[in-house]
Amino acid sequence: MSATTELRSLGRQGSTAKRQNKVAFWFLLPWFVGLFAITLGPMVASLFLSFTDYNLLQPAEFNGLENFTRMLGDERLHRSLGVTFTYVLVSVPVQLGLALALAVVLDRGVRGLAFYRSMFYLPSLLGASVAIAVLWRMVFGADGLFNEGLGLLGIEGRGWISEPETALGTLITLNVWTFGSPMVIFLAGLRQIPRVYYEAASVDGASRGRQFLSVTLPLLTPIIFFNLVLQIIHAFQSFTQAFIVSGGTGGPADSTLFYTLYLYQRGFGNFDMGYASALAWLLLLIVGAFTAVNFWASKYWVFYND
Amino acid sequence: MQRRLILKGLGASAVALPGLAACGTAGGGDVELSDEPVTIRMTWWGADTRAELTNQAIAAFEKEHPNITVKGEFKDWAGYWDALATTTAANDSPDVIQMDELYLASYGDRGTLLDLADTSEYLDTSGFEAATLETGKIDGAQYAIPIGAGMLASVVNADLFAQYGVELPDDTTWTWDDYAAIANELTEKSGGAINGSGLTGGTDAGSVRYWARLHGNELYSEDGEVTLDPAVLAALWEYNLGLVESGGVESAAQSVESQSAGIEGGSLATGKIAMGFGYNTQITPLLAASGADLRLLQLPGNAEAAANFIKPSMYWAVSSQSEHPAEAATLIDFLVNHEAAADILGTERGIPANPAMREHVAADLDEGGRLAVDYIETAVAGPPVAVTPNGGSGFDPMVQRYTQEVMFGERTPQEAAEAFIDELKSEIDAAA
Repeated sequence: MSATTELRSLGRQGSTAKRQNKVAFWFLLPWFVGLFAITLGPMVASLFLSFTDYNLLQPAEFNGLENFTRMLGDERLHRSLGVTFTYVLVSVPVQLGLALALAVVLDRGVRGLAFYRSMFYLPSLLGASVAIAVLWRMVFGADGLFNEGLGLLGIEGRGWISEPETALGTLITLNVWTFGSPMVIFLAGLRQIPRVYYEAASVDGASRGRQFLSVTLPLLTPIIFFNLVLQIIHAFQSFTQAFIVSGGTGGPADSTLFYTLYLYQRGFGNFDMGYASALAWLLLLIVGAFTAVNFWASKYWVFYND
Repeated sequence: MQRRLILKGLGASAVALPGLAACGTAGGGDVELSDEPVTIRMTWWGADTRAELTNQAIAAFEKEHPNITVKGEFKDWAGYWDALATTTAANDSPDVIQMDELYLASYGDRGTLLDLADTSEYLDTSGFEAATLETGKIDGAQYAIPIGAGMLASVVNADLFAQYGVELPDDTTWTWDDYAAIANELTEKSGGAINGSGLTGGTDAGSVRYWARLHGNELYSEDGEVTLDPAVLAALWEYNLGLVESGGVESAAQSVESQSAGIEGGSLATGKIAMGFGYNTQITPLLAASGADLRLLQLPGNAEAAANFIKPSMYWAVSSQSEHPAEAATLIDFLVNHEAAADILGTERGIPANPAMREHVAADLDEGGRLAVDYIETAVAGPPVAVTPNGGSGFDPMVQRYTQEVMFGERTPQEAAEAFIDELKSEIDAAA
């Protein structure tokens, strides 16, 4: 290709790109409207409200940093942070581990892959829904399906969601159960790994396990990283499950008091919207910090093949 | 006392602010019916049955007042309060509001409800007893009209008593010691198939209030201070811990299950316990759900101390943001004073607080309604209770949380009682 044709084609590409940008802009417009009207607008409002005493029914009154200093002595907030961190730090790694394991198995060319993929993906579609949370309450209730199953094995069950020691565990299980969406992403990632690497590895006499550790895992790290960031953010924002399973209380005895649930209780249950807004911003900072640390650490373990 | 004064001052200054501008118009004496067609909105919480009956009553009202259109909106309990708070914040509150005792002061104190003295021309309250009307007043302002009344009762399952050969108690004399003995006896004779009783308190404001009043104590003083004695609350928990230990009361986990299952799925309705507590009007759903021979008995200890009380089951209120207070008041007048409405609504919102309507509906009641009316007529009530102060609307979930902590052994009763009262006080102080 001569220099002139190259330039000309570049120019054409430029004008096509411009036209495409315009089209893209129109397609994105509804999303932009949504972003400004129902995301950024309320965010700015809540940032303002977080420095006020606002009970919803009377005008907000500026109270400086009072909401933030109050957080230091708020025992229920500390409790909810404990619950939420436990939930995130346990459920996300377990969920991702399970998703990866199943993706690897399915990638081996199981017959009826499409069927299994859909089956495993199904809970992810339903996971955050009210219906599943209601189902969960029934399955893990004292007279629920789970205890009946245990009864058949001669094991005496317990009230899984009505005892403080096990209630959070059932919610973690629920989150782990929705491993389908990271699994589908892992599957796609596995398909991206060139087969020649495996062929070369097996010529060199590497076992299946060795291939997984030396070929699959390193090449999959960008996908793992992506899933990790996404699922951590997602887990921090969990609300529906705890709200339905505990009937909105975060009980028994605050054992399932997710951060978002506490925020909701303050804002709507106790007419404490100023403080609730401050809590929302603290959550944003926490999630932001987690994500930042994740990105920083990714330099040391994520391997980009290109 | 002083706090109240400050609060009033704030309320007065708030009138000038745009968000609450409607307060000004309501007090200004321009409360009159419009000649033009008017649409007002009305909101309530409750299930489908209530919606059906209420919509019928609305239709009857619209027939009598052709130029008033009423748009009804209903939600379940939890969603209702979220929506009411947010619509009120957006200055878009419905005109006629179904109100609960827990939230009355939260809204009334903040100037969002109309003093119904301003609409007395359209809403006649003369048929109500003064003591009943008092339950809708805050600092002398009639912010709400009681719709129905309820009273706390012991609910016993006579079928289970018969099945396990335990004699029904004499509720004109029984004490808390008798109650404990009977609960333990039921558990023993059933061989552990059932527990004698559910938790006897700590699950809602009513049960704690009754226990406190038995001990000469009150939850709140007249001027809205928390007066509950931690030792009294701790004793309530001690009593229940003892009974859980001996088997008379169901386990902590079972109580949690029962509570989250709601009234129709709870232990009393499913026959897992033979005795429990509830408001007399809850007998109707309980009968329907259990299919058992349930009866309402006087509360243990009430014979000696008359500590029980009449609780307004709910109220009608008019928003201070309403542009049509006269029409709103006319609607409430129809709902609480007219036989045409009473015929439709019956006792679905509780035994009517208006005596004339109570008499009118008593003629054709179903079994549950009959039991509920009989109970309220025989039960002895002590002095009326003070209205839950602004900030106290979260009492129930709060006390449930501490009860769970005590029952699961996370805190001692004394510790929990002090922490609970501190938290309640700080909520109320923060709201003032």
